[in-house]
Amino acid sequence: MSQFISLLKTILNVNFGISALRYRFTKEKSRLWEPVLIGLSIILGGGSVISLYTWFLQGVYKGGQILNSPELVLILALLACQLMVFIFGIFYVISAFYFSNDMDILVPLPLKPYHILASKFLIIVINEYLVTWPMLLPAIIIYGIGMRPGIAYWFKSFFILLFAPGIPLVVVSTFVLILMRVVSIRKSKDLMVVIGSLLGLLLGLTVNYFVQKVPEDNPQQFIQDLIVSRADVIQSIGQRFPPSLWATYGLARQGSEGWMYFTLYCLISLVLFVFLLWLGNLIFYRGLLAEQEVTRRRKRLSTEKINTEVEKASTPVKALFWKEWKLFLRTPVYAMNGLAGMIMVPFLMLMPFIAQEGKIKALLMQARQPNFLMWTTLSGAGLVLFTSSINIVACTSISREGQTFWISKVIPVPAKQQVTAKLLHSMAISCLGILVTTTVLGIVLRLSLLRLFIIFTLCLLGNLLLNALNLLIDLLRPKLEWNDPQEAVKQNLNGLFSILFTFAALAVFAVLTVLLVKAGISEWIIYAVLGLVMGLLTIPSTAALYALAETQYKKIEV
Amino acid sequence: MLKINNLSKSYNRGAIKAVDHLNLHVKPGEIFGFLGPNGAGKTTTIKMIVGLLNPDEGSIIVNGYDNQKNPIEAKRSIGYVPDTPTVYDRLTGIEYLNFMADVYQVPPNQRKERINYFLEMFDLTDAAEDLIKSYSHGMKQKIALAGALLHNPALWIMDEPMVGLDPKSSHLLKELMRQHCQNGNTVFFSTHILEVAERLCDRIGIIHRGKLIAVGTLDELRGGEQAETLENIFLELTEQ
Ligand SMILES: Nc1ncnc2c1ncn2[C@@H]1O[C@H](COP(=O)(O)OP(=O)(O)OP(=O)(O)O)[C@@H](O)[C@H]1O
Ligand SMILES: [Mg+2]
Repeated sequence: MSQFISLLKTILNVNFGISALRYRFTKEKSRLWEPVLIGLSIILGGGSVISLYTWFLQGVYKGGQILNSPELVLILALLACQLMVFIFGIFYVISAFYFSNDMDILVPLPLKPYHILASKFLIIVINEYLVTWPMLLPAIIIYGIGMRPGIAYWFKSFFILLFAPGIPLVVVSTFVLILMRVVSIRKSKDLMVVIGSLLGLLLGLTVNYFVQKVPEDNPQQFIQDLIVSRADVIQSIGQRFPPSLWATYGLARQGSEGWMYFTLYCLISLVLFVFLLWLGNLIFYRGLLAEQEVTRRRKRLSTEKINTEVEKASTPVKALFWKEWKLFLRTPVYAMNGLAGMIMVPFLMLMPFIAQEGKIKALLMQARQPNFLMWTTLSGAGLVLFTSSINIVACTSISREGQTFWISKVIPVPAKQQVTAKLLHSMAISCLGILVTTTVLGIVLRLSLLRLFIIFTLCLLGNLLLNALNLLIDLLRPKLEWNDPQEAVKQNLNGLFSILFTFAALAVFAVLTVLLVKAGISEWIIYAVLGLVMGLLTIPSTAALYALAETQYKKIEV
Repeated sequence: MLKINNLSKSYNRGAIKAVDHLNLHVKPGEIFGFLGPNGAGKTTTIKMIVGLLNPDEGSIIVNGYDNQKNPIEAKRSIGYVPDTPTVYDRLTGIEYLNFMADVYQVPPNQRKERINYFLEMFDLTDAAEDLIKSYSHGMKQKIALAGALLHNPALWIMDEPMVGLDPKSSHLLKELMRQHCQNGNTVFFSTHILEVAERLCDRIGIIHRGKLIAVGTLDELRGGEQAETLENIFLELTEQ
């Protein structure tokens, strides 16, 4: 046990860079302003999101009270939180379990596989708290203040907070363990891992969607049902995913019934966790060891073959661009993080379309109305811009070089050209996202080719602007000191900055659009104005990027 | 070929003085060995020459180009092999060499010949199509070496190049260094293997606590006492 505790402590230290932080605070005092600035922007950015969320939850709570089921707010928060853990967990678990370099050090130590698995799992749980607590706490506090359920409620809340990420993470981890075991016997493992995990994610979302949807054919009836029996509300929503139901009952019910559900929830979490450890002990190392092995061809290359490979000479920018592509696609953590968003969102759009529910059908019909087409096009463009720009490609593009950054500093290629290659690479991936989402949009909404073209062009310009800005963020504070690739994308604050930036930009465009519409300007001019504004904004942002490239590349010492 | 004037560098805002007013002149056609105890400042000096670190003061002239004022030309004249060869793990060997040939703009006719030459010489032809991730430590070092030398740079800069190479490869590397200098080029490398320095180098510099404490041919370092080995000289000089 003490072995396990010291292992956990060490990994925690590495994970949060505690020693590194201490070093920075004591040795490099001059850079103190940096953490302060980062902390401030997180508090400001995060604070505004949380207050918006709290405001929304208060609405849900009041609505629940009217329906005579105030615990609606709890179940909503718990469900959302567990879905969140599920979606982000899958990549997190794969990279922490299989693609982290500290495994080279951990495996030879006299530890059981489940020791390592357990410590990694707990690290992920602790990391998830950063997301789940801000999601759950407001709901728990709103309910607690409103209903005054007594001291036992607060006591139980504490444990629910601790256990909340547990069950979805165990489900995800089990899937990952099995996936890696299966994949380990195949060739081209890296690709299989990416495809497998994306499929797993889509499967999970599908199950979630069809299982959790509220019967809405007859909303009137539904609401009446709700009012008649309060148990029904919760059951109809959380029915198919019992854990969040138990947690809610455990919190909201009085007396021994509440305690029973609470115990059930905690027990199931623990049992599942033990099951995961048992499974891990059986198959974890096999998948892990296979992952460390790289397939080799080991066949003698004829000189002619090499010669044909070699003849493809190209310009430095082109060479850098293709290098970016290859490294991005061949590193599973990068590919998954970069591509997940642009696959998931179109999929989520397609699902209700395929399901063909009454309400959605009506909505789609509405969107296709001629007098509605402008709104459909504009919000479609907004959606496509959002999905294609929320990725980690540009904002980690220098960070991802990590230990190999010395090559970029040593080669006789001006920083401007290197940045150009990176910008082109992030644009290529954005283009992929735009194409996929626009196509799905075209299918679902039956928009004309002209409108699809407008969406495409607007999003292309918007992405150029955002990618240049995100690249600038990474240029200003790249994170080059990491040991495994997931640190470069997952534990990189630039990702957070980029999201805040992107949200801000989208908000500005949304406000601008609404203003233009309100001013009664005709549809086609609105598109032109939006395109023009985006295009004009691109000029200073790329100019700043290029102006800073040379000095920043020189400033970064490795 | 390589002129270092009054070069200084400290870490942690002056707390650690890694290189202290270093002056050094390496002539064309010379193999220069850079010796010194652990932590003496060899790697720091080398990183400043190739542009990985910015000097606090002083200047570095490579092949006539100041590496602060004309960094691109200076870089083009250098082939650098670091002490730990971290290259792109997820490229194949041949992809990596092709990439290096592209960024150094090696002409197509030369690149074919040179890539084949290095692959053959370092016994990497079989592994050329595999990901570098699957290479052994020495193989990684050899591919890094090949990548750095493809463009036939006027100045080779190597940080402990023999570490991790098998006897055959290190023999080949030494031959390569000799050949390169015979063609009028220059090699500058750091090492802890004194026999190599003794036999291979035209001139030797010894750095201690950031300062160059001795420089010259082996005979000059001996100062007339023919029996003195380089080991003895080194130990005496770095005693304090
Ligand atoms: N990134 C760094 N941060 C702080 N101090 C450093 C850093 N790199 C080197 N140093 C310090 O600078 C001094 C010189 O280090 P350097 O790596 O140049 O030595 P070296 O001669 O290459 O040693 P070795 O033979 O062990 O390779 C040492 O005191 C070292 O502690
Ligand atoms: Mg060194």
